Amino acid sequence: MASPSSAPARPPAFRSIGRSILLTLPIALWSLLMFTPSFRSGGRALSIGAVLVIVFMTSLFFLMMRTGETYRWRRIFFVALGFLFPVGFIASLIAERGTMSIPISRMVSGDTPFCFMVTPALILPAAFARTIVFPGSILPTASNPHSIAVMIGLWFAFTLVLGKAWCSYACFFGGMDEGFAAFGKRRRLHRFVTKYGSILRLIPWAILLCVVLLSAALFEPFYCMWLCPFKTVTEFPAVRDLETALQFGVFVTLFVGLVVVLPYLTKKRTQCGFFCPFGAFQSLFNKINLFDIRFDREKCFDCGLCQTSCPTVALSKESVREGKTLLNCMKCGACVDACKKDAAVWHLKGTPVAVKPERARLLFLYGAWALATMFGGSILANSIATMVHWLPLK
Amino acid sequence: MAYEAVTPVTGRSAENRYTTRKMAALPLAASAGEALVLGLTTGPVCLASCGPVVLPWMLVQPKGIGPHSRQLLLFLAARLAGYMVFAAAAWLVGAAIPRAWSGRSWAYGGIELLLAIALLVYAAGWPRPRRALSEPSPRLVRIGEAPRPRPSGAVALGFLTGINLCPPFLVAGVRAAQLAHLSGALFFFLCFFAGTAIWFLPFLSLGFLQRTPAVVTVARMVAVLLACWYGFSGASLLIERIING
Repeated sequence: MASPSSAPARPPAFRSIGRSILLTLPIALWSLLMFTPSFRSGGRALSIGAVLVIVFMTSLFFLMMRTGETYRWRRIFFVALGFLFPVGFIASLIAERGTMSIPISRMVSGDTPFCFMVTPALILPAAFARTIVFPGSILPTASNPHSIAVMIGLWFAFTLVLGKAWCSYACFFGGMDEGFAAFGKRRRLHRFVTKYGSILRLIPWAILLCVVLLSAALFEPFYCMWLCPFKTVTEFPAVRDLETALQFGVFVTLFVGLVVVLPYLTKKRTQCGFFCPFGAFQSLFNKINLFDIRFDREKCFDCGLCQTSCPTVALSKESVREGKTLLNCMKCGACVDACKKDAAVWHLKGTPVAVKPERARLLFLYGAWALATMFGGSILANSIATMVHWLPLK
Repeated sequence: MAYEAVTPVTGRSAENRYTTRKMAALPLAASAGEALVLGLTTGPVCLASCGPVVLPWMLVQPKGIGPHSRQLLLFLAARLAGYMVFAAAAWLVGAAIPRAWSGRSWAYGGIELLLAIALLVYAAGWPRPRRALSEPSPRLVRIGEAPRPRPSGAVALGFLTGINLCPPFLVAGVRAAQLAHLSGALFFFLCFFAGTAIWFLPFLSLGFLQRTPAVVTVARMVAVLLACWYGFSGASLLIERIING
């Protein structure tokens, strides 16, 4: 294995300021378009949130263009999304119901906001029994705009284009474990992850199969009822007996273990890479979407930096030798940024590898950042608006 | 032709039992048709109920339509045996079995615990069989070979799912208990089984799936996770039953 230290690092300024601004313009316009309704109909707090988000998202995209780095700037947005999402969500729950727990009456009336994580569990009951096993409404209502049809439609449209990049640019949960993984530098369980990576990355597939089968057998969203770590920081069934208390205990244990402790120890997104069934389901779309990451074998000298940097163990020695990532690649860009020989490149399927990779990166980033601004940006704006409400501003 | 005699099996009101059976006595063909339609229409529920057991079991079998057909046939035959046992029990005890039988929780809990053990042993292959010190590792002997299917696995899992009390099964049980003859009840369940068994045929397509080590590993993980769920579910039913008396 050759030493990576001899390879030249990418220059700090990748592109001129003028050209970077020019390339950022479409995203700036998209952001304005997305948040214009907030200025018109929202209050002062939401307008402040919208302005901050426009500046935030546009600046990060500008920095991506200017430096040529993707992962570093994407991570800032993603961690902010992960940590601010519960702020806005919990505040709205408290304001509306006075509690984070879901009362049975809300479930019966189908007013539970839809979460995309439950999507794979809906397929079998919908196919065989024409029933949606989620206590939400299919079409948007005044009390529940986050309906099943809207969320699945959005998810499907972007997933067809970007594949599993959803997990790195839109998921409002993934930023939490990525944030805890960013604390500190020492990798305490690095050898364990390296040794058992090939087994660990299969666990989400097993959980996905279990969730799909048990959701069909029990006629309930099994993942939401028993396995979702993020119930701890969003909403959960009201604790009223031993079973619901046990459910809550499982949620808290999984959250502390998979989202806080293990990411900190391994520096990996353990919940996303080694547990999340939706992530495994999303991996299937990596087969049919437009973009992927490839390795230029003429430049690669097997230093292993890309494998070490990958937050979800989506690279193996064999896959890099074949010039590909594994199916569970989230297209976060960590390996591309880490590669000192520029052997890891963004790639538009159907085009030659490593020929104009920056063009493929630009095309991908326009799609991914548009999604991030629309989906994550609106969540960020709402959360900022909530905090503005809390602050004693006159 | 109506059935006139009363079978004094239970100690409950013979008049009610006689009336129910007299009303429910149907010609054989109508009974078969009813059972078949009931099986066909409730088949998806049976499939959903048995799917968590069948899928990991079939996925750990070697690739090929032949081995899969054999395993599925064994599974279905054992399931049919389970059905017959339940049909006979339902007919003997009477129509009240699903709603009034006090041992229902014990049966549910016990069957789920047995299912958990069967999944662990047969589908997950745990615990691994011990071997003598001088004996070479099976891995060394059979490198590259798919694991050998164990017929007892299909039989155990099929029988346990066959006596597992899923909703359509209970509906069929009530209907069978109302029939005049034991043979009628058995025939009713045979037809019901035929209706539901058709829904299991798609599992044969799993035989065409490429058997990479990853697929088998995932199937074993699924078996372990499902065994944990069935174990938890069965144990909690039994504990609840013990606490509530």
